[in-house]
Amino acid sequence: MESFIRDIPGRDNRKAHLFSGALIALLLAGVFWFGFSRLGYRFAWGTIYDYRINFLRGYGTTLLLSLFALVLSLILGILFGLGQKSRLLPFRYLSLFYVELIRGTPLLVQILIFFYVIANAAGLNNRFVVGVLIMALFSGAYIAEIIRGGVESIGASQRESARSLGFTPAQTYRYVIFPQVLTRILPSLAGQLASLIKDSSLLSVIAIKEFTMAAREMNANTFSTLEAYIPLAAGYLLLTLPISRLTRLLERKFSYET
Amino acid sequence: MKLELKGLTKSYGPLTVLDRVSLSLEEVHSLVFIGPSGGGKTTLLRLIAGLETPDAGEIVINGHPVEYGSEETLREYRKRIGMVFQAYNLFPHLTALDNITLPLVRVHGYPAERAREEALVLLERFQLADQALKKPAQLSGGQKQRIAICRAVAIRPEFLLLDEPTSALDPEYTSEVLDLIGELRDEGMRLILVTHEMGFARQAADYLLFIGDGGLIARGIPEDIFSGSRDDRVSRFLDRVLKYN
Ligand SMILES: Nc1ncnc2c1ncn2[C@@H]1O[C@H](COP(=O)(O)OP(=O)(O)OP(=O)(O)O)[C@@H](O)[C@H]1O
Ligand SMILES: [Mg+2]
Repeated sequence: MESFIRDIPGRDNRKAHLFSGALIALLLAGVFWFGFSRLGYRFAWGTIYDYRINFLRGYGTTLLLSLFALVLSLILGILFGLGQKSRLLPFRYLSLFYVELIRGTPLLVQILIFFYVIANAAGLNNRFVVGVLIMALFSGAYIAEIIRGGVESIGASQRESARSLGFTPAQTYRYVIFPQVLTRILPSLAGQLASLIKDSSLLSVIAIKEFTMAAREMNANTFSTLEAYIPLAAGYLLLTLPISRLTRLLERKFSYET
Repeated sequence: MKLELKGLTKSYGPLTVLDRVSLSLEEVHSLVFIGPSGGGKTTLLRLIAGLETPDAGEIVINGHPVEYGSEETLREYRKRIGMVFQAYNLFPHLTALDNITLPLVRVHGYPAERAREEALVLLERFQLADQALKKPAQLSGGQKQRIAICRAVAIRPEFLLLDEPTSALDPEYTSEVLDLIGELRDEGMRLILVTHEMGFARQAADYLLFIGDGGLIARGIPEDIFSGSRDDRVSRFLDRVLKYN
């Protein structure tokens, strides 16, 4: 029994891993099965078939929206991550306010304010664009913090070495700091992409036709709540699980330096 | 190398580390700083390296005062000297070879190929050629420090500054680093070195400065400093550090 549930160093434990993995999966399935059987719910999986186009479109929108938002939020993150250390004080304070405001308020509130106040005032009507902007602003603040932390984690001794070798500050960033920051923060950035994908589900409150909206619509029209939301969960997992694997891989790959 | 200090003063807050230090040395090839911990050796070395700015006074090297006026002039000055720190000198994301070529290419404008050749010649000479493609994490402390010294001399500096280059190393690596420094010295590289290795200081120094209590407590050729110095702060210090040597 011992050898079935313990990860014993220096031994081939693949069977034990398989066993425990299957055990937990079964346990979870059991809990869900019990829950559903108590509910006495009759699944009508046919409904989702009728809505498949809606779901696929929503899935595509979520993916595309997240990717655009990621690129934009990287730019914002670099700008305001470095901005927090800028000698230009207005820029520094802009960066600080931005990061604190976004990180300190719920995404839902940001979505509503941006949509009803800012986008409205600016005459922005394309909901996809509004969605991209909101998610980019939101995610950008978190990436700014990731980047600031990454830059700070490069020790003072290395800046000093670069300084003593006659590097300009710009060269120090370009050749010494950024290459190291990039490898260090790649795992966190991948994690941020996963959050972005999940968090974008809140955009359904302003009726952007993304993945979650498809489920909400189907639920509203047919009252097949679980048939709508279970595939929704599976769809998000399909995106986030590979990213989480990738994150772990990156972490291992770059753990060489201290 | 001609070195003059004129009323050099440096304070950190209320603490005056160097208090109007003056000195004039003609043609010294290897100058070694010794003295108690916290005495100001590193501070003086960093002032000479152009990494710190004095509060008052000036440093004149070979007749030219170090221009502390702006970061640009200081940078030009730093390009002409080599500096080796106690530890953590190398950039961890670059191979040994790239650590040496990066400043050659980016700061000194060498073509990449020539930088590579120069670096490989140096590594070869100091038996480090096998390590050329390794990252710092794969190297021993002694190898890292020897490569850091190679990087500092690759730019053909006017002189080389070393701040306790062996004190962060395991004792077994000390001698390989000291041997390398000794070799450079014998080839005519001018050096200024801070060390707690008294045997090495005695053997490698043309001239010694004993730094502490805000200034120079003693100075002279090694024989004079080591054989019964007049100042009892020096003899007490030497008694202490030589106890187990
Ligand atoms: N950046 C700094 N800020 C504040 N105090 C400092 C700074 N650098 C050095 N000091 C102080 O100045 C004094 C001299 O320091 P310094 O590093 O020059 O001594 P040292 O002779 O090199 O000592 P050690 O042998 O321990 O390296 C110490 O008391 C130290 O605490
Ligand atoms: Mg020191």
